[in-house]
Amino acid sequence: MSTTDRRVRETFVELADTLVDDYDVLGFLDLLAHRVVELIDVDACGVVLIDHHGTLNLVAASSEETRMLELSQLQNSEGPCLDTFGTGRRVSMVDLVAGGDERWPRFAPAARGAGFAAVYALPMRLRDAVLGAMNLFGREPGPLADESLALGQALADVATIGILHERTARQHEVVAGQLQSALDSRILVEQAKGVLAERLSISVDDAFALLRGHARSTNSKLRDVAAAVVDGTITDVRRT
Amino acid sequence: MARICGEERSKWRADRWVRLSAEHRADHVWGAIVERARAEGTDPSLRHVLHACAAAVGAAGCGLSMVGATGAREPVLAVGEYCDELEELQFTLGQGPGVDAAAGDGVVLVPDLAAGSAVRRWPVFAPAATDRGVRGLFAFPVAAGAARVGVLDVYRRDPGALDAVRLATALAFADAVLVVVLDESGGIAGGPDHRRDAILPERLAEVHQAAGMVSVQLGVEVSEALVRLRAYAYVHERRLADVAAEVVARRLRFAPDRRGTDDTAIGSEMMDAPPNSDQDRPEGGA
Repeated sequence: MSTTDRRVRETFVELADTLVDDYDVLGFLDLLAHRVVELIDVDACGVVLIDHHGTLNLVAASSEETRMLELSQLQNSEGPCLDTFGTGRRVSMVDLVAGGDERWPRFAPAARGAGFAAVYALPMRLRDAVLGAMNLFGREPGPLADESLALGQALADVATIGILHERTARQHEVVAGQLQSALDSRILVEQAKGVLAERLSISVDDAFALLRGHARSTNSKLRDVAAAVVDGTITDVRRT
Repeated sequence: MARICGEERSKWRADRWVRLSAEHRADHVWGAIVERARAEGTDPSLRHVLHACAAAVGAAGCGLSMVGATGAREPVLAVGEYCDELEELQFTLGQGPGVDAAAGDGVVLVPDLAAGSAVRRWPVFAPAATDRGVRGLFAFPVAAGAARVGVLDVYRRDPGALDAVRLATALAFADAVLVVVLDESGGIAGGPDHRRDAILPERLAEVHQAAGMVSVQLGVEVSEALVRLRAYAYVHERRLADVAAEVVARRLRFAPDRRGTDDTAIGSEMMDAPPNSDQDRPEGGA
């Protein structure tokens, strides 16, 4: 077994281990986004969900939060995530220079400006519905190997399961409630980033790193740490 | 995995269609609200929102409860027969879907209050509602992250789940309630056009990052910070998203009003503006 195979196995075990009762959805997706970048030959990963307005919302990212937020928001008008959402199929753009502008006149230059040369969107499907997408970015042009894309799709499916608590997600109202909860948690995290950034005079990205670090080191949910930062219960958030 | 029955499948197809066309939902929601206000020749108010919501989701009525000045939640408005009574009853008993939604359970959807599970969960409230001919109750937090201002209860006479279209519509109305509550609190009697544009930016990450920052600058809660941001954008005729971006980029700060008299919540303008007296000087929150 190759090192990669072993790492893939470990990742699935690790992710499955986090899927216990009352787990931290945002923390789970955050972990997933980071593992995707480790296991697949891409440089950034964002997890995007769709809300009841039809708006795309970034809920987790492997890195460079602010930049990923911008690229996600842009895709409300055009881009691979919007396309994959419309068709339910994977979208690949292996060279943003060669074919990007024609397809996405606003998104493609923005993605290139962020240093990316290739982009993929893998649908997060539940039966007939698409709930969101996993957005992958590469700094070099060129196609991903088929097996990398297959692994990416498997991880996107795991993300869907993570959001929906598969066993209970049989009905659309349950799904809607859980999506709503994940999206609201994310809003809370954005507010906590702001609170911390202002208190400590740091950037919102650095604030997020502190929040995440605090959640990990105290084994708490990201949502709970965010809530405690906003209501002032936690004042001392430092990387440990 | 269990097989999916045909009915569920068709719901999912409907759901997908709903979401694909949902970019226009905010327009429909505001359109319905404005139509009601116009018929009365007034500005849109919470009452119009509740009436429009009930009509849009096929409900007997709606109730809204909010956190009042005392910090306690209280029923503030209800439309539809028995709805004000049932809103009061949830409060008196401390029991019901709206109470649970307020307590942090998120969206609480109860297709049949006569069902055993509902009666076990709310042993006094559920039968009382059923007695008054209300079988379905759907409670939606009026909230964005830490800004939890209230709960919108939707009451229906017939048992049954809200279909995907109505569920998404009710969620959009809960967002509309949030926007109207924030604006009323900020003293904006703004026209619907301002709000129609404003509802989607409520989902923007930067708006909430800015709200977190402003809450520290002013020493207020996040909901109040959102009120101030919206009021600032309105007064200066700017987009909320742009104001939020300025705050996050630290080109705009909000300063606590020294006179303690409230109002426009004007911060110092640009950070690099000449700092003359300490009057204009930006200052971190408490």
